[in-house]
Amino acid sequence: MSLLQVKNVTHGYGSSNLFWQAKRATVLDDVSLTIEHGQCLGLLGTSGAGKSTLGKVILGLEKPQKGQILFQGIDLYDTNASTRRHLRRDLQVVFQDCYSSVNPRMTAEQIIGEPLQNFESLSPNEQKRTIGELLETVGLSPEDMRKYPHQFSGGQLQRINIARAIALKPKMLILDEAVSSLDMVTQANILTLLKDLKTIFGLSYLFITHDIKAAYTISDALAVMEKGELVVQCEDKTQFLQLPHPSVQRLLQSILSEHPRSRSL
Amino acid sequence: MIASIRTGLKSQKTVAVCSVILFVLFSLTILAPWISPHDPVEVNLALKLQSPTWEYPLGTDHLGRCNLSRLLHGAQVSLGFASLIFISSLLIGLLIGTFSGYKGGVIDLILMRFCEGVMAFPSLVLILGLVGIFGPGLPQVVLAMVLVQWVYYARMFRGMVLSLKERNFITAARISGSSQWTIIRRHLIPNVLPPIIVMGTLEIGWAIMDIAAMSFLGLGIQPPSPEWGSMIHEGKSYIRSNPELMLYPGIMILIVVITFNVLGEALSDRFGVKRRF
Repeated sequence: MSLLQVKNVTHGYGSSNLFWQAKRATVLDDVSLTIEHGQCLGLLGTSGAGKSTLGKVILGLEKPQKGQILFQGIDLYDTNASTRRHLRRDLQVVFQDCYSSVNPRMTAEQIIGEPLQNFESLSPNEQKRTIGELLETVGLSPEDMRKYPHQFSGGQLQRINIARAIALKPKMLILDEAVSSLDMVTQANILTLLKDLKTIFGLSYLFITHDIKAAYTISDALAVMEKGELVVQCEDKTQFLQLPHPSVQRLLQSILSEHPRSRSL
Repeated sequence: MIASIRTGLKSQKTVAVCSVILFVLFSLTILAPWISPHDPVEVNLALKLQSPTWEYPLGTDHLGRCNLSRLLHGAQVSLGFASLIFISSLLIGLLIGTFSGYKGGVIDLILMRFCEGVMAFPSLVLILGLVGIFGPGLPQVVLAMVLVQWVYYARMFRGMVLSLKERNFITAARISGSSQWTIIRRHLIPNVLPPIIVMGTLEIGWAIMDIAAMSFLGLGIQPPSPEWGSMIHEGKSYIRSNPELMLYPGIMILIVVITFNVLGEALSDRFGVKRRF
């Protein structure tokens, strides 16, 4: 049984009020994909392709108009609240904007401790020890738990977001442009951390990005979205580069050459 | 840069001066029962409309009551009830505004249309109407003012929550398994609270004026209890012969309201909080 199955999902947005309903703009059009246990699927696409909306639908934040999200074989939107809550602890998220992902009035300890408080019944000492271990796992020091978000750099904050996401030992992480807002060196460090965590905890990732290099570095399989449709899905990333599909070619052409003279505009 | 430092220092001085004035006023209010030279409701017609003496530092009113004692005890009503009105309407507005903004949908639609309906009337007119229904008296005035004022806070908090709930940390909290009330309590309320200190200083000034206005119209506190608005009302018959009967409470209202407003403006400049209107 696959860990996650997205089956024929269609979703759209449209404003409405009590008296009239505006025409909905389709954002996801009959999208289907599968993620196996321990697999990382890189989901590529330009801005507005529907990648993040798909992430929200998978996370259970927006009910799709049509289709099913099967997580561990259970339909997320056709189950009772208790099962959904139980499933949710196995499905966590890391967002692009590390600054807006944390409550500025909470310490790192409170931020990472939130999922633990909600799902685990740990004593205050146990919780503190777990948070310290999580901070060490993501490359920070246990002493950092007393710090507030403004006392961290962007890369450190993203590590805190990752620590919160793995606090419950989930089976899958949705990484929604998780490295896009970071500089190149920090990006590489975070990608290495994510790769290590995947090996240690056997995590599966849906790595949403527009950066083909980052996706290629971390993913096992790659998929491309365009205007709400999943236009390419390739189980072997090495074959992805040879695909003749125009959207793949456009993504490959968008990579800047290392040397400025060989860059084409 | 020098200009901004100057502005900062000026604002710091303003905050310090206003805070000292308010501290003295609130201390006098709390200590009123012990420092008042006389009973504020004790009538002595033989001493009516006296000029200031050592025994009666601000003279006496038309019933021979000590003006200073009445001013000090009146401050308890004005400042105390203004604070009560502010805190009560703020708490109601905070809960309803935060809940409405976070839930959205039909609940938000209904609550906000109700608020807009209330805000469509000038607040003093609405308070007058409600006091007309409840009957005159200070508790009724306080209730009417709370019933009218909370909608302004609800609108303000709702607006703040609308922008906050789009932030990723709210979504992350949902995914971390936090319930709606936990998110409201742990994430939304702490983030909308800081502007309240600024709002409070501005709003208490209005509340003091509204209480005084109601008492002046004879709808607030009932005689013989002292209150600044009712003291102005009682003194108006003697405006030609003894204008100080109106001047003393009038000056007190002026000092308190101006101090609160100047402090509020200085704090809002410093913390970048905008007034509700």
